Amino acid sequence: MTSCPRPADLYLYLEGELGPYDARKLEEHVECCPACRDALDERRLLHEAFTTLPPFEVPGDFARSVMDSLPEPEVRKARWLAPLVAAVSALAVGLAGFNLFTGLSVFEVMVAVNSFFGSVVAQATPLAAKAFKIGNVLLKVAGDLVALGFSGLGTFSRILGPQGTVLVIGLGALLSVLALFGARRFLRQGENS
Amino acid sequence: MTEDRQLVSKALGGDRKAFEMIVRKYEQPLTSYLGRMTGEREAALDFAQEVFLKAYCSLASYRPAFKFSTWLFKIASNHMIDHWRKKKLPTVSIDQPVDDGDGPLTPQVPDPGPSVARKFELAEIRQKIERALESVPEALRELFILRHVNEFSYEEIADIKSLPVGTVKNRVFQAKELLRKRMEAS
Repeated sequence: MTSCPRPADLYLYLEGELGPYDARKLEEHVECCPACRDALDERRLLHEAFTTLPPFEVPGDFARSVMDSLPEPEVRKARWLAPLVAAVSALAVGLAGFNLFTGLSVFEVMVAVNSFFGSVVAQATPLAAKAFKIGNVLLKVAGDLVALGFSGLGTFSRILGPQGTVLVIGLGALLSVLALFGARRFLRQGENS
Repeated sequence: MTEDRQLVSKALGGDRKAFEMIVRKYEQPLTSYLGRMTGEREAALDFAQEVFLKAYCSLASYRPAFKFSTWLFKIASNHMIDHWRKKKLPTVSIDQPVDDGDGPLTPQVPDPGPSVARKFELAEIRQKIERALESVPEALRELFILRHVNEFSYEEIADIKSLPVGTVKNRVFQAKELLRKRMEAS
């Protein structure tokens, strides 16, 4: 006969949480061990009582009182809607104001606005070209710096030798992993708080 | 589960009816949990209201990858912890085996003594359990309630309490054996 099961296993068996092999072993044991059979019977009755404890009664108007205590909802509006409405309103007000001051028709106002934007674009294009050139030069300088960094790393690894390089890379990876887990833990704590 | 997610999504869009459906769905399990944790019905209803309010205010932080019920009960559990901290109720360390006066409660071979459970009918046993439950340390009681009253799986309880599954199983077992011994002594 196998040894007597732990009381914890009796509960797990009754909850269906014991694996099939362990459950069969327990059943076989209980058949030939009167003490364990009694212990299982007792816990079966207790388990039945544990799992049929009555629920607490809730007053019928409880949900209503909860709803009454809630603050007004902050309805999530589409983020693009407010700026769009503001832009259209500003345009309409601008057109109406222009029409009022100059006496021009809406069509004429639109032509005037169009020519205004045309002149703005004409002035802005050379500026944009210059900004593009400056950006290009900055990119080149950044590229040269990166190349310099790589050649420095090459020199550094030659000085360290293969074992030193492996050690430095290993330490770097370890620090990265620690930083990543630290950040995740920090973020999780932020969620919980 | 999907229904919960849809209700949460609607509630986030400003649909108060959707949140009311959530309240109606969880008012009883939540009150049963809080009621057995506090031992007072009125306090349980007040706490339940506060938990629903907290849930409503932080609904945007709910992630649909998780079960809504475990998220809600996590809020309820934290609410209870805050309450105990404020009241500064004495807490019992559950890292050590529970001592109920008859020596430490550790796994043992079933004793062949007279059966306690058979002495009572099921209804009587339930009454005795309710009474004995009040004397069980809250950390064990909570896990017992989540398992047997709210019928969460051990994995879900581990999620709610941020504990390993093995620890949850062990503590639920400790709670049950403690209840059994308390009933035996009564």
